[in-house]
Amino acid sequence: MNFSDFIGHDDAKLSLILNAIDPNCGGVIFVGERGTGKSTLARLLKNILPDDTPFVEMPLNVTEDALLGGIDIDATIRTGKRVIQKGLLSRANNGFFYIDDINLLPPHILSIILEVQNRGKVVIEREGFSIKESARFIILATMNPQEGLISPHMLDNFGMCAFFESLKDPAKRVSILKTQLGLAQSESDKGLLNKIGTARMNLEKIKVIKEIKEYIVKLCMDSNISGHRGEIFLFYAARAYAAYMGESSLKKEHVDTVLPLVFIHRQRVLEEKKQEQKEIDHQSREEKQEGNRDHEQGMEQQNKDNESEDESKFNTNMEQRESLPDEEIFDVGESFKTKRLLFKKDQKIRVATGRRTKTKVKGRSGRYVKSLMNSRIKDIAIDATIRAAAPFQRARMIQGNRGDSTIIIKDEDIRYKQREKRMGHLVIFVVDGSGSMGVQKRMVETKGAIKSLLMDCYQKRDRVSLIVFRKDKAEAILPPTSSVQLASKKLKEIPTGGKTPLGDGLLETYRLIKNVSIKEPETRFIVILISDGKANQNSTKLSVEEEIERISLSLTELPYVDFIVIDTEEKGKFLTTDYAKKIASYLKADYYTIKDLKVEDLTEIVKVAKKE
Amino acid sequence: MIFPFTAIVNQEKMKLGLILNVIDSSIGGLLIMGEKGTAKSTAVRALAELLPEIEVSCECRFNCDPKGYLCSECKEKLLQEGGLQTEKKRMRVVELPLGVTEDRLVGTLDIEHAIKKGEKRFEPGILAGANRNFLYVDEVNLLEDHIVDLLLDSAAMGVNTVEREGISFSHPARFILVGTMNPEEGELRPQLLDRFGLCVSVASIMDKNQRIEILKRKAAFDLNPEEFAEEWKEEQGRLAKRIVTAKERLNSIKVDDEILEKIVSITSNLNLDGHRADIVILKTARALASFREKDAITRDEIKDAAVIALRHRLKRLPFEDIEEEGKKLNQIFAEF
Repeated sequence: MNFSDFIGHDDAKLSLILNAIDPNCGGVIFVGERGTGKSTLARLLKNILPDDTPFVEMPLNVTEDALLGGIDIDATIRTGKRVIQKGLLSRANNGFFYIDDINLLPPHILSIILEVQNRGKVVIEREGFSIKESARFIILATMNPQEGLISPHMLDNFGMCAFFESLKDPAKRVSILKTQLGLAQSESDKGLLNKIGTARMNLEKIKVIKEIKEYIVKLCMDSNISGHRGEIFLFYAARAYAAYMGESSLKKEHVDTVLPLVFIHRQRVLEEKKQEQKEIDHQSREEKQEGNRDHEQGMEQQNKDNESEDESKFNTNMEQRESLPDEEIFDVGESFKTKRLLFKKDQKIRVATGRRTKTKVKGRSGRYVKSLMNSRIKDIAIDATIRAAAPFQRARMIQGNRGDSTIIIKDEDIRYKQREKRMGHLVIFVVDGSGSMGVQKRMVETKGAIKSLLMDCYQKRDRVSLIVFRKDKAEAILPPTSSVQLASKKLKEIPTGGKTPLGDGLLETYRLIKNVSIKEPETRFIVILISDGKANQNSTKLSVEEEIERISLSLTELPYVDFIVIDTEEKGKFLTTDYAKKIASYLKADYYTIKDLKVEDLTEIVKVAKKE
Repeated sequence: MIFPFTAIVNQEKMKLGLILNVIDSSIGGLLIMGEKGTAKSTAVRALAELLPEIEVSCECRFNCDPKGYLCSECKEKLLQEGGLQTEKKRMRVVELPLGVTEDRLVGTLDIEHAIKKGEKRFEPGILAGANRNFLYVDEVNLLEDHIVDLLLDSAAMGVNTVEREGISFSHPARFILVGTMNPEEGELRPQLLDRFGLCVSVASIMDKNQRIEILKRKAAFDLNPEEFAEEWKEEQGRLAKRIVTAKERLNSIKVDDEILEKIVSITSNLNLDGHRADIVILKTARALASFREKDAITRDEIKDAAVIALRHRLKRLPFEDIEEEGKKLNQIFAEF
């Protein structure tokens, strides 16, 4: 299939053409649902690049070593000289690096790629060697937002962004089918290639008067785009477009044409910021009524934001809910710095990413803690291997009659590395949304506490999930995601009112853990139950209390799960029940009140950190 | 090619913070906080072109200062030959990549040498290269804890001691630590935060003409880096010379008791732990006076120095963010 055969998505095609003309355009990310042609089109970029331009596709499950390159251990030991293997990123030098489903990449892999891109160089410092290789490349990526988002900070690295939706026009859809079956006349890319070639040659001859630069900066400032990448990418995209149109000077209309491609992902950042600002304004206002009015506006804004996202069951629920008077949606209270939540290292060996708890790891990254005789990962510990071989050298020299000076290493000498690093957990927030939480705005404070914990989860690179129990059942309103922003959004929408089906909340948690464990058996979980513990609705035939005890027992029998109970009951009054404390003992959980959770000042942070 | 330091538009505090650390390398480094896309990394990398020469022990792998603490190799040489030959070498910006392993940071057994010659020899790590140079960590808040601990250790001691794989080696490791970070990605541990002598925050420039200038210079640089560098050569040379002069005059700057009292009056108001802040303000103010070609430290230098030396040291209430701290400082200066 040729590039010119691709039907529809003209803006996305244009973005590729502009990058083919001028790599300064900064690459592009294609955002859209499965099966809309993102990957097909992205790969077609190859066809319109000069023959010698590198186009490196990143395989799924890529390792750090494969990306950065490294030492060829086998060859190194055999020859006694360092043999270096080039990595994927160096191979993309002066070309394109293609990442499919960028949002599914482990965060540490993504940060390696971006670090190398920013530096324009691969720099490796490990195992006693140091490599510096040029690696200037442009990233081309696709993502399906239904499967999770990437941070605005990362999006900002892309020059352009194009959205993909299924084509509605039946004629076009028919043409797509024909092309797929090879029935359509294939269109040659030759004309396009020539046009791009000419544009590339003329690129730097294009006149850019000062007014145009002013116009570009004005557009960025008016849209309040943060950082200075917006105007730089806008300038390059517009200039490439002018060259493509065969013009000799850059005009406003060129800027206007490429503007959406450059702005769309930067403006989203802005919308989120605006929203955050709104929250802050919110918090500073004590007036309850005013808060409520403001809140409705916030809802509208959210619904707009949600448009491109997964239409969850939850949104439909919200519409129904509007007619019910006994429910209320409370604001998110003030957030604070939380205490460090620490967990013990377990014995499981994992593929780890994140920053919370130490774990033994399978991969080749992490801290080398000791050497092993056997390992499935062929990560040779050279030091230990040499140490193992050393005592036998004299005997082997005589036996083997080897005249050269390299040492003789036999298979039984080989030692492997056991490494350790930190990992993130899947943190499941199990939130009580019952009526009793609405008393004296307890929910406001609770939401503030959850928000604070979410911030901690973001910093520790945990994944999060939200389960709410209220009225007659529990519901997972947010499936496991690495997007803490999405979680904050859902948090805001949690309604309060009705009975307390705490048992069902725990049952839903059990189901979620079971499900995730089937797919990803290495996952380590943290369950944070936030409730006053006043359960009054059962979901089984057992009594409320018996039900909770039974389900708690099943939960504690699951491997790799830690529990935290955050008690929201107001203490110090004479009617303190301490139900939550009891549930914490069933779950063998760490028990906190919201007050306990706060780090009071800097000295306390130090104290907690030192304890570790 | 690296974008020239002097061609970076505005961001004066960040640039000054870097320059002051060149003038007096004992100030203790710089932490740069701010959003992506605000020239943080560019500035640090660009600094390399402006760095002066230092006197080092000949052929030393650790840039030993012949008059300072010596590495194991130089010590031996001194014993055998009775003296050390010296040479001039330009200071560098050494980068610490995030995925660095412990052995590459502190150094390890030279495997090639061990295999070929059957001798144990120490292979220097990044800390060796960083001795008497700048050590730059991009996204310093994302660095793994055990690496941070090693950095803190050698920063505190000024010496890197390696006892592993049967080798025993020590060498000086005095480096100027420069870190950049985006605070939204997570905070720094207080111990590490306190290690940085100075701290500045950078934000997007909101002046239209300056933004146009940024665009213009970036495009000109991308088009022809050599030609662009040539255009800025004179400016770069001027600044480099000014830095060298300031470095030479540093010790002749007068510091009378009144100045010391003024500094202490600021810090004692703030209820800070330890005396590091006083020392940093004094050194920074002195470097600043020298850079501004003054004979003595004045009130202005103290104020300017305090702003960048204190911002990360103020005790923070739980809900206050960095901006709040700025306000607190301003209040103190209003009374100063």
